[in-house]
Amino acid sequence: MGRLLPLIVVVPLLGAALLVAGGRHVPRPVAEAVAGLAAAASAGLAAVALTRPPAVSWLGAWGPRDGHSVGIVLVGDRIGLGLAALTSLLVVAVLAYSWHYFDEPPHGHGGAFPALVLLFQAGMCGFALTGDLFDAFVFFELMGVVGYALTGYRVEEARPVQGALVFGFVNSLGGYAALLGIGLLYARTGELGMAQTGRALDESAGASGRGGDALVVAAFVLILTALLVKAAAVPFHFWLPDAHAVAPTPVCMLLSGVMVEMGGYGAARVYTTVFAGPGGVPAAGARRTLLVLGVVSALAGALMCWQQRHVKRLLAFSTVAHTGLFLTGIALLTPHGIAGTALYVLGHAGAKAALFACTGILLDRHGSVDECELHGKGRDTAGTGLLFAAGGLALAGLPPFGTSLGKALVEEQSPWLPALFVLVSAVTGGAVLRVAARVFLGAGQAGRDGEEGSEGPETAGGEEEPETGRRVRRPPVPMVTVAALLLAGALAVGTVPGLTGAVTTAAEAFADHGGYAAAVLDGRPAVHPAGAYDWWTWTGAGLGLLSAALAVGLAALSVGRRSRAVPGSAPLRRLHSGHVGDYVAWTVAGIGLVSLLALW
Amino acid sequence: MTRRVRLWVLAAGLLATAALYAAACTQLPGFGGSWHPYGDRAVRAALQQRTANTVSSVNFDLRAFDTLGEESVLFASVLGTVVLLRRTRDEKRVAPEPVRVPAALRRYGRLMLPVTLLIGLYVIAHGQLSPGGGFQGGVVAATSLHLLYIAVDYPALERFRPLGLYELADGAGEAAYVLLGAAGLIAGSAYLANVLPLGTFNTLSSGGTVPLLNAAVGIEVTSAVVVLLAHFLAQALEIEGEREEDRSA
Repeated sequence: MGRLLPLIVVVPLLGAALLVAGGRHVPRPVAEAVAGLAAAASAGLAAVALTRPPAVSWLGAWGPRDGHSVGIVLVGDRIGLGLAALTSLLVVAVLAYSWHYFDEPPHGHGGAFPALVLLFQAGMCGFALTGDLFDAFVFFELMGVVGYALTGYRVEEARPVQGALVFGFVNSLGGYAALLGIGLLYARTGELGMAQTGRALDESAGASGRGGDALVVAAFVLILTALLVKAAAVPFHFWLPDAHAVAPTPVCMLLSGVMVEMGGYGAARVYTTVFAGPGGVPAAGARRTLLVLGVVSALAGALMCWQQRHVKRLLAFSTVAHTGLFLTGIALLTPHGIAGTALYVLGHAGAKAALFACTGILLDRHGSVDECELHGKGRDTAGTGLLFAAGGLALAGLPPFGTSLGKALVEEQSPWLPALFVLVSAVTGGAVLRVAARVFLGAGQAGRDGEEGSEGPETAGGEEEPETGRRVRRPPVPMVTVAALLLAGALAVGTVPGLTGAVTTAAEAFADHGGYAAAVLDGRPAVHPAGAYDWWTWTGAGLGLLSAALAVGLAALSVGRRSRAVPGSAPLRRLHSGHVGDYVAWTVAGIGLVSLLALW
Repeated sequence: MTRRVRLWVLAAGLLATAALYAAACTQLPGFGGSWHPYGDRAVRAALQQRTANTVSSVNFDLRAFDTLGEESVLFASVLGTVVLLRRTRDEKRVAPEPVRVPAALRRYGRLMLPVTLLIGLYVIAHGQLSPGGGFQGGVVAATSLHLLYIAVDYPALERFRPLGLYELADGAGEAAYVLLGAAGLIAGSAYLANVLPLGTFNTLSSGGTVPLLNAAVGIEVTSAVVVLLAHFLAQALEIEGEREEDRSA
């Protein structure tokens, strides 16, 4: 099976190439079928690989000799493969969601949109599977360029172009930082593979008797910067709400559902394989960096999420908040932290993508994503409303959703974590439930609220173009089905008993610095026997119920109030100015902040 | 943020980044040393694969998967540009006005076009032997075509540039790379394995799959640059936003 690992990445590439070559002549249904087949084939390969023992694939058969190689390796470990499988499944869902109904493709380029989605899939799968730093950078860039183009897809309006531009600027800066960091490591070790670099750092530390020096720390900071930009951690997060608010809905599902999470995955992967040994960065420094940025992102994201009336922007800030929670889980640097986070990511992908899917239906029916303008407009679509509310409850951590299980497993790791996780889940879930109550039940007061002039202008989200060419009357069947299936997936993550055990075993292998190098370079996969694992506990379920109840309470309290503004948060809101220069300044300042946190 | 605050934030960040990077640079290995672990291994591998240009051996054999990724980045960028620069519903296409070109420029273009094209093809074809290859040669070859625009005029370029064909070639170049990689799997080895006969060192037919992968990239880059420039030129010369009175009509 190891030999076939590259196919997970290249099958979508081939699909995209065929769509571009023939896109001029094939009708739209054929193009969409080809894209769906390629994405599904990749998902199937990843799923089959998950059932086999972990394998590595040396591309071009340039396997290691005496622990050195001139080639690139793809590593089919459970966590990476799982992420590739999640990506591919989500791409299939997105293609189904945009099937037939999504806006007419550009004239003469019938296959352009599905081709871009396939390239996006290839970039993310490649990033998830590669065991090579430079190769990871290449796929990081591929994800990036496709992401910018998809974000700006609706060029008729000004804001998508601005969102794509901001996304492009900030992510490119991250890319440059990563390249500098990789260059430093290469200069020191002469290696680009993660396992080889980690081993070379450890050997030089053993020879000189000292740990990682300034060069190693600088490399860590620079590479981590790029991954935190992708993960949209504060203060690198500014691009995300601007991009998510304007990107087409199917693209938002991918951006929030899995691309942002790739940043957290990359940070964990690079730290454990390269920097976790004696020649790397002390665990305390890495933990502090990820923990501080994770907690700040979670709190800032939740605070901003609560105050939005533009529903897509609201969901975008909830992604910032939840990625903050993921980074907090990763920061524990323990197998249990990783396992809990992995389950959380799986559940979140289903819930968040479903929420975006429902928002897209609102946009296509009413030409608006403004909470105030949509007031009561959803009363005639109970099904969509139920799905939207269920998504909100999943975000809030209601058992037995996968989000709740992942949250519970991470919370158990430290006594103060439940407070943070419950608060952030309740606020983000509560914001979604507030929207659900106003839009689908017509609760609270109708009409526009102009009471917030003192708080400065805000993004409202009215008068948006529907993505279906013209407004649809009924919610299209594929769109509703996809949202329901995504939520069912989020539910399955929390209820399928074997999954948690498998993820726990996978996380143990993932966190094993020496075991990874031995598996990749020496062909000796470390054995992590499936042992006992935690599943639902009374405490975990209780905390999940608590955060869900708090979310319902918050929504109920706020639904009748005109203003969503939280006193004292105006400065934070003003920082999200939409000015590219501001965002670039914060990104550069963030490099300084990460250095301080790592070196402290 | 005000401009002042923004500049202070930026300056603080730049200062910290510079300090971090400068500290790292003091720990780099000395300049001009003889310790080149990857270089030594790559040269040995390139010679073993009978590829005279080690850089091409790294690009199309040892780390050929990176090149697939990079080719895909270009491919995706061009597709993204095509989508972003498309003619939208409120724009219309107008024929650009012809412009007189000075006779000297005309002669220069007529002379240089075939020369440039030949150099581009040479650089692509000799990628496995001498500096250059598909990426570099592809850009040169695509440039040669655009001498038509500079030396003659836009309609002349359009006549000799069947865009549909170049779009087809763009996709075909990308697909060819992916499929050549799969040949390694079919031959029972790894993806992108160099499974063809290696040929005679320092001749055109050496290096096994290197010249083929190189050619696939050459085709992709040439067509990608042509398609890219075509859309930029169309946006600049042909596409105009609709005026208000037209819209209300």
